[in-house]
Amino acid sequence: MSVMTEAQAYRVLVVDDDPDMGAYLALLLKKEGMQADIVDNGDAATMRVMTDPPDLVLLDVMMPGVSGFEICQRLKSEESTALIPIVLITGLDDSQSRVRGIEAGADDFLSKPVKREELVARVKTLRRLHDTRKELESRRLAAEVERKEAIRKTFSRYVSPRLADRIIGDMGKSDDLFAKAHRANVVALFADLRGFTRLTDSTEVGRVVEMLNEYFTILSEAAYRHEATIFNMAGDALLVGFNVPFPQENPAALAYQCAREMLTQFAPVAARWEKEQGIATGVGIGICMGETVIGNVGSPHYMSYTIIGNAVNSAARLMQLAQPYEVLICDRVYGEIKNVVPAAQMESRGDVTLRGRADPIKVYCVTVPLGGEGSGG
Amino acid sequence: MAEIDYTAVVAKDLEDLIPVFIKNRNKEIDLLRTAIGAGDYEQLKQIGHRMKGVGNSYGFAPISDFGKGIEDSAKKSDKAAVGGWIDAYADYLSKVQIRYE
Repeated sequence: MSVMTEAQAYRVLVVDDDPDMGAYLALLLKKEGMQADIVDNGDAATMRVMTDPPDLVLLDVMMPGVSGFEICQRLKSEESTALIPIVLITGLDDSQSRVRGIEAGADDFLSKPVKREELVARVKTLRRLHDTRKELESRRLAAEVERKEAIRKTFSRYVSPRLADRIIGDMGKSDDLFAKAHRANVVALFADLRGFTRLTDSTEVGRVVEMLNEYFTILSEAAYRHEATIFNMAGDALLVGFNVPFPQENPAALAYQCAREMLTQFAPVAARWEKEQGIATGVGIGICMGETVIGNVGSPHYMSYTIIGNAVNSAARLMQLAQPYEVLICDRVYGEIKNVVPAAQMESRGDVTLRGRADPIKVYCVTVPLGGEGSGG
Repeated sequence: MAEIDYTAVVAKDLEDLIPVFIKNRNKEIDLLRTAIGAGDYEQLKQIGHRMKGVGNSYGFAPISDFGKGIEDSAKKSDKAAVGGWIDAYADYLSKVQIRYE
């Protein structure tokens, strides 16, 4: 019969230099349905435990060569074997040996002559403890995997799979980034689909959803490619952030490149839609940089990882002002990207007072060469 | 030492182990005699200690007593006492009857 019962799977290593004592202990354990292997010296015991770890070690203290205490100490100091229960077998009333055994990390003791009832009771107790500990450990590991998976699921709504993996891999440090609100300099990019309201009035509803999905796919893929975090998709507008949750080398340049890719990728789609539906669409983008509050905002029923602050509001206002295929940026973003964008593609729009803000800010428009189709907006 | 009981009551499930056990005890007598001849009290002490543990476990209580006697006498380097214990042990082994229960 090849079926292995649970009891047979419990493996005890008996370490005793006296072959009769070893055989006696092994027999008693086997009678309880356990598997028992015998070795007769300390070095063989250490080697066996390291290479083929048992569930429990019954270890004689008095052996020629390496003593039971030394073996016990050695096994308890190794991370891979420290949790294996060790029962030291000492002489009757040998309290000195027991003290040394406790110091060496022994889990329990048996006195010679070994009484079978005592041996079985002690091994069974340790087995129960060991099984409970194993069960708790496997539950803890399963919970950890589940928790990481939940976090991965949550954050893959906001970030690229690569960034989600980095967050998971960086758990501990990055945990706090998501759990606690904090401030950071963030580049906020708002994008909005222009002309879409007119399109929805004249297009069948199923097709409208398809078109929106196509649009958001293009924009979110561009965002992921530039390591952006997607914070919100509402109606036909999208908010993404850079330099969050992890600092980036040049977040303003990344935001500009992302905006550029959004426009160039969307342009042929808009051209196709125009042919199909006869209505022109385009994307307007606003980018602004500044200190924002980052955190989970909402009610216990609905939480959203988001960014709040003037930079976000200003990016939204700039997006509203942007014409189709225009990228409007604040002066701080301009300062960061002026060396990487050809001067001919940037134009000052002067001081603009944005709705909701007391002071005007300098606004620049970046033109993205689209290569023909769709550039008319 | 109290009167020796030459009947060992051994658990039935140990029956298969007993022939080897008895063989090893007879070898032990030889080892003890060699050690006492060489005045090797360390070896005598170790063998006595081992006998102490194994005798009672198998149901041979007198072997544990002989072992204790050998260990204690060897600690004192008392050759005569050790010799007496070895003789008593050899005598016991030649007379012991085993009853399985």
